[in-house]
Amino acid sequence: MNRYDYHQPGTIEEAVGLMAILDDAKYIAGGTDVMVLIRQKKLKPKNLISLRNIKDLVYIDTAKGLRFGAATTHSAIDNHDIIRRNYSALTDATSHLGSLQIRNVATIGGNICNAAPSADTACPLLVLDAVVSVVGPKGARDIAVDDFFQGPGKTALAHGELVKGLSIPSFGENTGSAYIKHTRRQAMDLPILGVATRITLSMKNGAEVRCRDMFCTIDSISNILAKLKEEELKIDEARIAMGVVAPRPMRAKKAEAVLTGKVVSPELFEEAGNVAASEAQPRDSIRGEAWYRSEMIKVLVKRALIKSMDRIIRPDEAIYPERLW
Amino acid sequence: MNSLTTVGQKIPKRDAPPKAIGAAVYIQDMKVPGMLHGKILYSKHPHARILKLDTSRAEKLAGVRAVITAADMPSTFRIGVMKDNPPLKTGKVLSIRDEIAAVAATSPEIAEEALSLIEVEYEVLPGIFDPIEAMKEGAMLLHEETKSNVLKLPWKLVCGDVEAAKKEAVFIVEDTFSTPWVTHCCLGTSGCIAQFDTNNNLTMYSNTQIPSLAQNDYIEALNAFGLKNKRVRIVQCVIGGGFGSKLDTYSYEYIAIRLSLKTRKPVKIIFSREEEFFATSPRQCTITKISHGCDREGRLMFREIEMVLDNGAYTSWGATTPSVMMLPISSLYKVPNVKYTAKCVYTNNTYSQAMRGYGNPQATFAIESSLDQLAEIAGIDPYELRLKNANEPGEVTPQRFKITSCGMKECIEEVVKRLNWKGKHGRGAGRGVGMASLIHVGGGARVYKSDGCGTIIKMDDFGKVDVFTGASDIGQGSETIIAQIVAEVLGIPIDDVNVINNDTDICPWDVGVHASRTTFVAGNAALGAALKIKSQVLEAAAKLLEEDPAYLDIKNGIVFSTRNKEKSTPLGKALRKAHYTLGGKMLMAEYFYDPKNENFDKEFKGNLSVSYAYGTHGVEVEVDKETGQVKILDYVAAHDVGKAINPLLLEGQIYGGGLQGVGYALGEKMVYVNGELKNGNFLDYKIPTAKDVPPMQAVIVETDEKDGPFGAKGIGEPGLVPTAPAIANAIYDAVGVRIKDLPITPEKVLKALKGKEKIG
Ligand SMILES: Cc1cc2nc3c(=O)[nH]c(=O)nc-3n(C[C@H](O)[C@H](O)[C@H](O)COP(=O)(O)OP(=O)(O)OC[C@H]3O[C@@H](n4cnc5c(N)ncnc54)[C@H](O)[C@@H]3O)c2cc1C
Repeated sequence: MNRYDYHQPGTIEEAVGLMAILDDAKYIAGGTDVMVLIRQKKLKPKNLISLRNIKDLVYIDTAKGLRFGAATTHSAIDNHDIIRRNYSALTDATSHLGSLQIRNVATIGGNICNAAPSADTACPLLVLDAVVSVVGPKGARDIAVDDFFQGPGKTALAHGELVKGLSIPSFGENTGSAYIKHTRRQAMDLPILGVATRITLSMKNGAEVRCRDMFCTIDSISNILAKLKEEELKIDEARIAMGVVAPRPMRAKKAEAVLTGKVVSPELFEEAGNVAASEAQPRDSIRGEAWYRSEMIKVLVKRALIKSMDRIIRPDEAIYPERLW
Repeated sequence: MNSLTTVGQKIPKRDAPPKAIGAAVYIQDMKVPGMLHGKILYSKHPHARILKLDTSRAEKLAGVRAVITAADMPSTFRIGVMKDNPPLKTGKVLSIRDEIAAVAATSPEIAEEALSLIEVEYEVLPGIFDPIEAMKEGAMLLHEETKSNVLKLPWKLVCGDVEAAKKEAVFIVEDTFSTPWVTHCCLGTSGCIAQFDTNNNLTMYSNTQIPSLAQNDYIEALNAFGLKNKRVRIVQCVIGGGFGSKLDTYSYEYIAIRLSLKTRKPVKIIFSREEEFFATSPRQCTITKISHGCDREGRLMFREIEMVLDNGAYTSWGATTPSVMMLPISSLYKVPNVKYTAKCVYTNNTYSQAMRGYGNPQATFAIESSLDQLAEIAGIDPYELRLKNANEPGEVTPQRFKITSCGMKECIEEVVKRLNWKGKHGRGAGRGVGMASLIHVGGGARVYKSDGCGTIIKMDDFGKVDVFTGASDIGQGSETIIAQIVAEVLGIPIDDVNVINNDTDICPWDVGVHASRTTFVAGNAALGAALKIKSQVLEAAAKLLEEDPAYLDIKNGIVFSTRNKEKSTPLGKALRKAHYTLGGKMLMAEYFYDPKNENFDKEFKGNLSVSYAYGTHGVEVEVDKETGQVKILDYVAAHDVGKAINPLLLEGQIYGGGLQGVGYALGEKMVYVNGELKNGNFLDYKIPTAKDVPPMQAVIVETDEKDGPFGAKGIGEPGLVPTAPAIANAIYDAVGVRIKDLPITPEKVLKALKGKEKIG
C-alpha cells in the first residue's frame, strides 16, 4: 500500500525548498509517468510535490529563438503556429505523443526528466540544440540537452534540482527539421524507433531555396533528389538524433559529419542513413527486433532528411512526402 | 405480415446512454453490505513443486478475515471441461496463472498486502512450452495421471475420400499456417461477489455470459463443499464485454465462494487489468497444416487439415473449438472430400477459452490463405475461384448441414463491385486487394442437449410490458433487439417494453450468449411469447369492443377493428377491463423456443444449426516496401444476415468485429516466453486504437431466413472471421509475399520482402 502526501507549492522557490526538507519526495507535473510508476510499484514516494500551480513554469516565448517552461503541456506546444513552422520536429513529436487526453496534461519537462530512451521530445530537442535551465538548492545552471540524458531514467539533474525551462536558438530561414516516430499504431504507442533531423541549406549561387515545386510532383523521392542534385543544394549544418537505439536518446554525430558541407543527393542521404545505423546499438525487445531497428534507421534518416528539406523548400505546404509514409 | 414499424429501424442501443454518462452499474461498482475483498496469490513459476506454503503471517495482519489454500477445498474437486483444474493448487504448479492461496480482507489494499506476507518456497522444474515438443514420445507429462500430453479428445472429421480426390486433382497446394494467443480485452475485467444467506443458499453477483450453466456449475461446487440441495441465484450486473471470455466458470469464482463460506460474509473479487491479461483464458493458438486441391476448372475437390492446439496446463472451452472449426473446414465453399484431425496438447502455458468465432477465425485464416495459393497455381482470379465454389441455398454440405438461406454469392459480388476488384487485383506495385469469406452458425448451435431460451411476458394495467428473458446482454445489444421484436408484435412503442435479463430467480433458462445465437434463439422465444400474449390482449379487447378478435389488431398502443373504424380502444383500457372484473386476469405468457437443430453424431455430422450465416470481406492495402508497414486503404464487409432487425446495431457488430479482426491480423499477440506473459498491458499488447480504424463499409445482404425472427440470422461472431486472411491475401497481391503466421507485423513483411529480393 503506497500512501503519500501531496504538496502544491505556488512558486519555484517553494518547490525547491519543499524538496530540500521532505523525505523521499518526487516532483510531479502531469503525472502521466509518475502515477504509472507508482501503480507498478516501481516508485514509492512518501511525498509528491506538484508543479502544476507554478505559473513561472508555463510559458512559450518566441521573441528570441524559442523558450518555454518545463510544465508546458504537449498540447500547448502542438497548437503553437510558430513552433510548427520553425521548429517542426518538436511539433512532429508532440502531435503524436500518447493521445489527446495525455497531451492535455503531460508536460515536456516531465518527458525529458523521465528520460525514457523512447521519450518522443528527446530527439527533436537534440537536433534543435536545446538548452535546459535548471534550479536547485545550490542555484541555477544551464545544461546542453545532449549532456542532460545519461541513461534510462537517468538525467544530469542533481538531487532536488528542478527543470525550469528550455531554450532553443533561432535558426535561419533555410533551416528545416522533422521527427519520424515509427510505431505499430497511430496513437497511444511508444516508438519502436524515433529519428529527428535538422538541416540548414544554401544554394551554390546564393539563389532563393524556397518555393520550388520539386516536391509537388508524384515523382518518386529518388527522382526528386536526383533533380535537386543538379541544383546543387549545399548542406551547411546537419543534426541527426535517434531514440530507442541506445540506453539514451543519442545524436548520430558521424552521420551528421557525412552531410555537412555536401551537396544534396540520393547517395548522400543513403550514406547518412547507413552511417547513422552503424552508430546505434539497438537491442531486441518485444517492441522490436534489433535488425529491424537498424534497417529502419537507414530508412527513417533518409525520410526525415527529405521531410526537413521539404519544409525549407515549401514552408507553408502540408508535407507532401507524408503521402508515402 | 404487413409493413414493419419497429423491426428494421435504426434504433440506438438502450444501454448506450447509461454507459456513456457513467450511470451503468458494473460488477466493479457493486457493493453489498458487509462485503469483504478477496485477492489471489498466483504461482511465480510456470512449473514448480511447492515445497512450503506458510500463510501464518498473512493471517495475523489486521483486517484479514480469511486465508485459504488447497487444504480448504475438497481434495477431489476439479473444474473445467475435462475436470482437470483444481481451483487452488497444491503439490505442483503447472502455469504462471496457477492459484495457490487467497485472502479475504476488509479492503483490497489489506488483501493485497496480505498476499505479500504469504511465504512460498518452490523447487523450480523444467517446463514444456511447445506443443510439438510436448507431443513427443517420452516427453515429461504435465498431469502425471495421464499417459500422454495429448488430450483424449476425438477431433476427427472425414467426409468422402480425400486420398482418391488427391489422385484426381489437377492443382494441389499444401502449406502450414499459425495463429497466436489473443485475448478479449474486455473493458470490464472479470469479477464476482459471492454471498450466502443464513440457509447457505448462494447469490452470485456476476458478469457471466452463461447464467444458467454457471448456476449448474456452482450447485456442483456447493455439493462438493458438502452443501447439498441448495439454491443458487445469479444476478448479473451490466457486463463490460464478454466475447467468449465469460463462457466458463473460473477458479476465482470458486475461491470467492469458499472465502464467503469461511468468513460468512459476502466476498468480492475483481481482477486488475494485469490479472485480466495473464489470468484469463485467451483464444487458442494453432498450427495448421492444410492442403487443397481442385480440378482444371478450379472446382474444389478436397480439403485436408491437420491441426495442433496448445492446450496450456488445464482445459476450458478452448479445447473444444475444433468442433466449430469443422464448420468452415467441411462447409466453407463446396468441397466434397474433407479430412480434418486436431490434437490439443498440454503445456505449461496458459489455457484457452472461447473467443468470438470459437475457432472459426483460426481455421478460416488457413483455408482462405490456402485458397488464394490454389487460385494462383490454377491461374484463376481468386474471386472467380470463390464464386465458382460458393455455397448455395438448398445445399447439404458434407458434414450434413442443410443450407437454407445463403447469400454468399451476393456477398462476394458486393465486395468485388465496391472494392473495384477487377481494376485493382493483380497490379502489384505496393498496392493490392484481397478477399475472404466465412460461414458460421446463424440459427443457434446445438452443442448441449438443449439450445433453448425461455421468455415470459407480462403486461400491466397501463399497456406497459415486462419481458423476462434468459438471454444475457453482454453489450451486443440483445436487450434492444428483444424489445424491438416484442414492440413490433404488440404494436406498441418500443419505450413501453422493459427487458429483464439478469437474474436467474426471475428469468427463464437459456443456454448462454454464444454461437451468435441470441437474436435468433432469444428473438424467436420473445416472438413466440409476444404472439401468445397478443392473442390474449385481442381477446380481452374483443369483449370490450364487442368485435371478433380475428378482426382486431394493435398499432401504436391502440387496439382497433380492421373492418370497423369506430371500434378502437387504448391498450391500457382493454387490459384494465380484463383485470378489474370479477374473475379477472392479468395478462402473462411464456414461450420456450428450442431450435430444430441437431447434435453432432459420433462422426461429428448433423445439422448443427437451423441456418447458416455468410459473409465476405474485401480489403485494399498499401504496403510500405521499405518499412514493411501495411495500411488499409479500403475495407468492405458484406454479410448475409437474413434480415437486419436493427441496421444500426448490426453495422456496429460488423465494424466492431472487423476491427477486432484487424487487430488479430496486424497487431495482437500475447507474447509468452517460457510460460511467462511478456506483454500483459495495453501498451505492448496492440489492440487497434480509434485512430487505427480503417475506412470500412458494412454491407448488409438480406436473404430472409424462414426460421429466423422476422427473417434474421446471427451476426455476433462473423464480423472478425474472414478479416485476417483477407488482409493477408491483399498483402500478397500488393507485394508478392505471403505471411502465414499471425499477426502480420512490419518485421515479418520486411523480412519476407528481403528474402524475396535475394531470390528474385
Ligand atoms: C497512456 C500514456 C501514453 C503515453 N504516450 C507517450 C508517448 O507516445 N511518447 C512519450 O514520449 N511518452 C508517452 N507517455 C509518457 C508520458 O506521458 C510523457 O513522458 C510525459 O511527457 C510526462 O510528462 P508528465 O508531466 O506527465 O510527467 P510526470 O509523470 O509528472 O513526471 C515525469 C518525471 O519527471 C519528473 N519531473 C516532471 N517535471 C519536472 C521538472 N520540471 N523538473 C524536474 N523533474 C520533473 C518527475 O519527478 C518524474 O520523475 C505516455 C504515458 C501514458 C500514461
